[in-house]
Amino acid sequence: MSRTSNRADGDIVQDFLSVADLLEDPQLAQLYAYLAREEEATVQNVMDDLELAQGTAYNYVNRLVDAGVVDVTDDGQPRRYAARPIDLTVTTAAGDREYTITPALIDAVGRRETDADIDTYIDRHGVAGLATALTYAVARERGEVTHRLMAEDLDISPLAAEMVLQALRPVVHEHYDIEEAGAGLDELDIDDGDAADDA
Amino acid sequence: MSRLHIADTGLFVAMGQPSNSRYQAVRRFARRNDIIFVLPERVYEELTIDDPDVEEVPIDTGIGEGWATVAAPLEFSEPIVSRTMDGVQRYIANADDRPADEVERADAALAAIAAQRLSTGTATEVYVYTTDIAASEGAETVLGSEGSGDSVTFVNRFRFIEDLVASRS
Repeated sequence: MSRTSNRADGDIVQDFLSVADLLEDPQLAQLYAYLAREEEATVQNVMDDLELAQGTAYNYVNRLVDAGVVDVTDDGQPRRYAARPIDLTVTTAAGDREYTITPALIDAVGRRETDADIDTYIDRHGVAGLATALTYAVARERGEVTHRLMAEDLDISPLAAEMVLQALRPVVHEHYDIEEAGAGLDELDIDDGDAADDA
Repeated sequence: MSRLHIADTGLFVAMGQPSNSRYQAVRRFARRNDIIFVLPERVYEELTIDDPDVEEVPIDTGIGEGWATVAAPLEFSEPIVSRTMDGVQRYIANADDRPADEVERADAALAAIAAQRLSTGTATEVYVYTTDIAASEGAETVLGSEGSGDSVTFVNRFRFIEDLVASRS
């Protein structure tokens, strides 16, 4: 094996370690997801939008830059930062199963900070369990499974399944292009015209 | 014309606690329009399960307040009820390449209540509030083939609640 390919192998391992760090630290994950969503942001934007103190914001941004998952896109003042796309596929030794770690999973982990249902689910089932739940959440929004099938497969209560599916739903619609099915209020043909009057 | 509103677990999970604006918006909508949400028995069981990992859903509060109620048991002896149950279970199983007997009967119960009430004429129009698209598509397909497709509307409970909350702000 040539030296250059060895170096490329090292890059892959480095990517893997960086992503593992993100999944371990919900605050880093939240910041990464924020930068991915905003496309570009300054530290001031980070402080304002994520309500972080200046020192904390710089610390997190620098850790993400050091880990290689965030780039400095504009070195002027103020510096601007952008998330590098993450798409890391892990395959089992037998080659029978693989999982792709995507920004959606990192986003989901990051929401642990602000969503009690995701937090509880990770406490109980770990980040690995949340990854599985996210797969079900995507499939459910696509009309392929129901919360009851998920509950049965994973041996959890249907109520717990429904809670985490609802908590993950915004992540699914943020990262996957899935059309909304079913009627909204205006298609109900129920005259709810008093709505504005009795506020 | 009598309308029936059938609610799945997801509606009540999304509403949250009575202090929540989503809960209040749905309750207000129900009261203002004289709507009583009907829950299949299995849905009630799901909501009242004792699971230390999840926050309790205040469904008994809704029932006590009079805008939610548990449906009478399904009449499985009625051919339309068993046909609808089987059809929806098959549909959901197909959507994910599974054997039909793996599909929970609660998914099909939503459609079966609709079919039963439409066939006896105790309802002429049915609204189903569910978060499970596979269950609503299955029900739409099966009820459509029974000739009741036009009488049933599937409500995307997320859009429904968002619309209700937004109309107040």
